[in-house]
Amino acid sequence: MKKNFLIGIIVFFAAWWVVAAVHLLDAFFLPGPVEVLIELAQLLWNGSLNFDIYSTMVRIGIAFAIALIIGLPIGILIGASTKIYESVEFIIDFFRSLPATAIFPLFLLVFGIDDSSKIAVAAFGAALVIIFNTAHGVMNSKKSRIIAAKLMGAKKLQIFKSIVFWESLPQTFIGIRTSISLALIIIIVTEMFIGTYAGLGRRIIDFQYIYNIKGLFAVILLTGAIGYAINMLVAKIERKVVHWSGK
Amino acid sequence: MALGKEILVKGLSKSFDENEVISNITFEAEKGDIIAIFGPNGCGKSTLLNILSEISDKTKGKVEMQNFNPKKFSYIFQNYRESLLPWRNNYENIAFPLRLNETEEEEVRRKVVEMEKIFSFKANLGLYPYELSGGQQQILAFMRALITQPEILFIDEPFSALDYENNLLLRTQLQKYYSKYKPTILAITHDIEEAVHIANKIIVLSKKPTQIVEIIENDAPYPRGTEFLNSKQFAETKKKVLSAFQRGALA
Repeated sequence: MKKNFLIGIIVFFAAWWVVAAVHLLDAFFLPGPVEVLIELAQLLWNGSLNFDIYSTMVRIGIAFAIALIIGLPIGILIGASTKIYESVEFIIDFFRSLPATAIFPLFLLVFGIDDSSKIAVAAFGAALVIIFNTAHGVMNSKKSRIIAAKLMGAKKLQIFKSIVFWESLPQTFIGIRTSISLALIIIIVTEMFIGTYAGLGRRIIDFQYIYNIKGLFAVILLTGAIGYAINMLVAKIERKVVHWSGK
Repeated sequence: MALGKEILVKGLSKSFDENEVISNITFEAEKGDIIAIFGPNGCGKSTLLNILSEISDKTKGKVEMQNFNPKKFSYIFQNYRESLLPWRNNYENIAFPLRLNETEEEEVRRKVVEMEKIFSFKANLGLYPYELSGGQQQILAFMRALITQPEILFIDEPFSALDYENNLLLRTQLQKYYSKYKPTILAITHDIEEAVHIANKIIVLSKKPTQIVEIIENDAPYPRGTEFLNSKQFAETKKKVLSAFQRGALA
């Protein structure tokens, strides 16, 4: 762990504590960090959030897996040919600029009102990010290595497998990290506003309705922590897989 | 040495948008020649090799590479760092051309070990290129290029990343390889000592538009040790090259 890592955490909680302690905001609507952490510990201890955590994680996991399975090959295909890239650039950029949640009604129509529409819309948003980054990784791979391999008599598929794919990996990983974060955001938002039987988003909106403000902040804190942990995990995998990046 | 003509270049010219950078170059390489291409900075030496290896197009003239197996051709680029594969360890970098031909593992290992011996390469082959010094990376690029036993070898600034001591060492090792396999070598250099030390023909180029000022024969026998650098023949050849360079580059 980095030496100054704890400073950020301390600053975050200290600032929160100060704002709450001097009653900068109404104490009812902004409880202090200690109370919220105690509430979170209780919620976790008595297991009342277990099913919500599980439901949200399963949705994110499935959405991300679909995004990866669809996004990687499409990104590679598009990136490998300038002609294909130019002809679909508009579609990708258009939908990338649009919040995926805004076209949720369309997904409701196609996938119905259960989990599948939430997962589909998150997968859609996440896949676009992976497609975009993978395509750019493939397109921007260094020509020198490709030329060198060609002179060694490498065939197209060999050049792709042993060079282009690897060259694109660092950029692909940027896409993967962004897409997981995006999947988490979209899943939480749809859980909050579309409605579901269980999920952290559902819990946030429920606590808000019944004015359980401590519980509300506890779940928000937990969601942030989960997002952060996922990000760290992917970053760790990334360092292992593309250890050579930038060297 | 005359084992037959292998590279024929006749009236070769190259222009970029009306600007002629290479003008009417004609020379021949026979099997087993070591030709140094020597000239001022930016005179299009790399462009010349790129045209011969069909990476770049020519504007005019004829290039023929004959009597050799096109699969037995290697090119060591000046930016060796950008042609090595950082995601493969050193062993797999050296073995890469053999992997492309799906050579059997036993054969691959035997050849890698042979390269290691010829170049007295001491670095751990399980490490990655980015864990090596610039000079070691350059030697890695050499081993990768030579593992296929090329009949024709192009080298762009072969010793640029090395300090003087290792530069001399690599020249010796390259000659060791040469005595065993006798490839035809075209080497670009901007170092007059390197050129006279390793080449049997030195093509001196002018500044742009680049022409051949003179082709100087240098028939001292191989292997040429460091004592050759003190010999009369070395001094005389160097003088000839320098004089041609002055005529072409400073005129």
